[in-house]
Amino acid sequence: MSALAPLLQGAFVSPAVRPARAAGKRRVKGAVASVETFDAIVDEYQRRLYGFALRMTGNREDAEEIVQDAFVRAYRALGKMPAEQRRGLRLQPWLYTITLNVTRNRLRTKRPSNVALDALTDPDALLKHSDERPARPETIVEQNADVAAVEQALLQLPMHLRAAATLRFIEGRSHPEIAEILHQPIGTVKSHVHRAVRILRRILGPQVGRFTPQGAPTHAMS
Amino acid sequence: MRCRDIEALWDETRGICERSLKAELATHLRACPHCQNLYEECEGVAYCLACLPPPEPACDLARRVLEHVALLRLRMRSDPVVLTSTRTPVGRLYVGFKGQRIAYLGFDTGGGFDSVRARVQQRLRRPVVRGQAPEWLAATLDRFFRTWRVDDRIVDISDLTAFEQAALRAAATIPPGQVRSYGWVATQMGKPRAARAVGRVMARNPLPLFFPCHRVVDSSGALHNYLYGLSMKRRLLEMEGYRRAQ
Repeated sequence: MSALAPLLQGAFVSPAVRPARAAGKRRVKGAVASVETFDAIVDEYQRRLYGFALRMTGNREDAEEIVQDAFVRAYRALGKMPAEQRRGLRLQPWLYTITLNVTRNRLRTKRPSNVALDALTDPDALLKHSDERPARPETIVEQNADVAAVEQALLQLPMHLRAAATLRFIEGRSHPEIAEILHQPIGTVKSHVHRAVRILRRILGPQVGRFTPQGAPTHAMS
Repeated sequence: MRCRDIEALWDETRGICERSLKAELATHLRACPHCQNLYEECEGVAYCLACLPPPEPACDLARRVLEHVALLRLRMRSDPVVLTSTRTPVGRLYVGFKGQRIAYLGFDTGGGFDSVRARVQQRLRRPVVRGQAPEWLAATLDRFFRTWRVDDRIVDISDLTAFEQAALRAAATIPPGQVRSYGWVATQMGKPRAARAVGRVMARNPLPLFFPCHRVVDSSGALHNYLYGLSMKRRLLEMEGYRRAQ
C-alpha cells in the first residue's frame, strides 16, 4: 500500500505524548473527582473522549452527542456516588467506559451503514500535522485519501474489535487499562487486539508492513 | 519460538516484556522471512492507526456540555420537593409537591422519612424538605379513590425524561378496572419494540396510582411485577373492579 506513504511521512506523534493531553493531565490528577471539579474534568477529557467516540462511530455529529451524553451521565453518577467510592475512582477508564456504553446504545439503535466518511477526514487537521513545510495541494489530497483508507478499514471491524484496536493503538492504552475499560479479562483484550490487527492487515494489504516509525524494519530491536 | 506464536506475541513484545522473550523473538525473525513480513505488517497497522490525526471537537463542545451540566446543577439547587405523608384507603402514602402539583407518590414501606427523602431526591434530582399537606390534598385523594382518575393539572412529571413521560401518559389512558400489556403501552407511544424499556419506566414510576402502572401487565395477562409488591398490584386492581377473565 504505497499510497500510505504520504501519511506516514508526517511527523509521528505518539498518542501518549500529545502536548494538550499531557498538560491537562496534571490539573485533574490527584484531585478527587466530584461535581465541583467537573468543569476541569470536561476540559481535560473532552478531546480524548471525542476522538474515541469519533473512531467508534465514524460520524462527527454522533460523536459530539455521545460525548455530551457521556459527560451528563458522569455528572449524575458523581453526584450520587458516595465520597469513599469517589476517592477510589479511576477517572479516565471510568469515563472511557461510560463513553463506550453510550456509543453502544447509540449504534444499536442506528443502522450500521450510517457512516459519514467524508465528514471524518478533516483537511485542516491534516495541514496541522504535516510538519512545517507548506503542503502542496496534491499532497493534501493523497494524505486525505490515506487517512480515509485507514479510518474506513477501522470502521469495517466489528464493534468489540474496533473498541480494542482504538484503545490500544489510537488512544495508546495498555492491556490492563483496556481490560478495566471494557470489563474483560486481559486475555480476551489481547485476543481482540490480535484479531483486529489481523483483519486490518488483510484490509490494508501487505504493503502496510513497509511503514514503521523509523521507516525501517522493526525486528532489529535487540 | 514457533512461527505460529509470532502473531500472538507481537503486541506483547512491543511494550515492557521479558528481555529473553524479545531476544528469542529477534532471533526467530532474523531467521524467518515469513514471520519478518508478518511482524512488519502488524507494526505497520499499529503505526497507521497511531498516525491518524487527532480529531478536533467543535470548539463549543465543552461549552455545550457545561451548559447542560449547569442546568442540572441549577435544578438541584432550586425548587425543592416538599414531602409529607397522609393516610389513604390503601395505607399511608408519602406525597411530594412541587408548588401546587404532586410530583411524587410512594407507599410507606416502613423505611422512615429519611429513606423516602433519599429515594425522592435520587429519583427527581431535586432537594427534598419536610412540609405540611396542603388543604386540597385530602379532597383530591378522596376523589381519586372514588373515580380512580386524576386531573392532569395537579400532577407534575416534568423532571422525567421525554420517554418516561410518554410511557406514563400512555399508561394513563388505560381505563380503571382494565389492564394492558407493556407491549401495548410501547405501541401507543409509537415504539412497538420498547416493551422492556416501558417495564423499566413502570418500575421507577414516581407517581404510582395517578399514573396507573398497576394496570400494565405482561402479554399473557399475568400481573408480572409491581414496585410495591404483587399483592398490592392485585389489591389495587380488585379495588378498581378488575376481574381476570378465566
